[in-house]
Amino acid sequence: MIIAKDVHKRYLTDHGPGRWVLQGVNFTIPPKLNVGLIGANGAGKSTLLQIVAGVDHPNKGSVERQCKVSWPMGFGGGLQGSLTGRQNSKFVCRIHGHEDDIPDRLAFIQDFAEIGDAFDHPVKSYSSGMKARLQFAMSLAFDFDVYISDEVTSVGDAAFRNKAAAAFKNLADKAGLIMVAHGEATLKQFCSAGIWIHDGKAHWFDQIDDALKAYKDTLKK
Amino acid sequence: MRCFTFQQRTATKMARSPSAITLAVWKALFLREAVGRLFSGRATWFWLLAEPMFHVAYLVFIFTGIRVSNIGGIDTTIWIMVGMLAYFMFNRTGTQVKNAINANQALFAYRQVKPVDTVLVRGALEGFLMIIISSILLMCAALFNHPITPSNPLAVLEAFFGLWLVGMGFGLVASIFSELVPELGRVINLIMMPLYMISGVMFPIATVPQPYRDWLLLNPVAHGLEAARLGFAGNYHAVPELSIAYIYSFALVSIFLGLALHRRFAQRLTTK
Repeated sequence: MIIAKDVHKRYLTDHGPGRWVLQGVNFTIPPKLNVGLIGANGAGKSTLLQIVAGVDHPNKGSVERQCKVSWPMGFGGGLQGSLTGRQNSKFVCRIHGHEDDIPDRLAFIQDFAEIGDAFDHPVKSYSSGMKARLQFAMSLAFDFDVYISDEVTSVGDAAFRNKAAAAFKNLADKAGLIMVAHGEATLKQFCSAGIWIHDGKAHWFDQIDDALKAYKDTLKK
Repeated sequence: MRCFTFQQRTATKMARSPSAITLAVWKALFLREAVGRLFSGRATWFWLLAEPMFHVAYLVFIFTGIRVSNIGGIDTTIWIMVGMLAYFMFNRTGTQVKNAINANQALFAYRQVKPVDTVLVRGALEGFLMIIISSILLMCAALFNHPITPSNPLAVLEAFFGLWLVGMGFGLVASIFSELVPELGRVINLIMMPLYMISGVMFPIATVPQPYRDWLLLNPVAHGLEAARLGFAGNYHAVPELSIAYIYSFALVSIFLGLALHRRFAQRLTTK
């Protein structure tokens, strides 16, 4: 269960505090529910996702996580360029307390990412697609109650997208999912509920279709 | 949040205690930092060793050129080398620790990793590396028939450990300042520049007349260098005001202040 209470967020710019991105966001996400975040560019979807994941903090209000929440997948952070894919993966295994079965998890990551010999080359030599593959494989290697995903299903080539979608579907069945995606089909495929972010507020919809409809209605005007 | 709530303990199978998480993070960070520090570029490890070696070589060359064969009653090479290694112990620890937060920004994508973890682990790694580097360089000096056996090994360790602690304390405080107020980071760099000169790496502090000597001795690094030399050669004419207690009190206060600042600004540091 994830409870957001009165979450306010604005970023600090070089000229003092910027505009309010989120202004009093409230919601409760029950366990094992797949939620899609919908909103225009700059509405605060990724901001909210990072706050929910605990990587960023609200200026006011709080987020309570009563379950194991993944790190935000697919926003490009968390990899150190000078280290190899394998070394980065080992690091993540260690901080998640999986010192004992590192070989198994490494084998899984290497197998899923399908980046070949590049797994033993520095991450800075990777293309953005390869980086995304590695990150996606890394997040699948651990068991979380809720996975946070920022556009991860739209990375990689067609073959990998299909594989990722299948793995994601499998994930969505046994754990919760909070995701940002701009593809309507993707949202409908994975999510049952939706949160529409508009003017710094979050609106909850039990059906993703209703959330998409509310979002589209504002676009027409 | 690093602490798992009680509800979570029942919800997930593998809830770990906060201390278990911290230890796992420290271990992972240590290994990661070690690989980065030693192998991130072409022969990075060589330059870690070569830098102090060249500094020592320059000074030995100059002092031999002006025919100074002993300083304060001890062998010039040993005087330079011990002072230089002691200085590097402080300087490298301080600099590495100061830059730890900035260099590990990417890792805060994982909730388990806190800024203070990266800072402490970097300091530990640097101290560990400096012990190895110092030992290697001293053994090299032994090959050239310099008397490298310390007359009081414990005093040498005490001085080096004190300097490491001072480096940690300085780094802890500076890491917060340079992260929260970038302008202060620049000011700190400006202050650090002449430190090499005024810490007594290149001239014996004891030759400076009063009252200027007392001013120089406000710097704990100057005390540390003299203490390390005195530990190596008991007959060294160290500066009479030398105080080990001053080094350790300075370290204690600065480390406490640094940790308190990290506690106070923990959230601010990871807020974008």
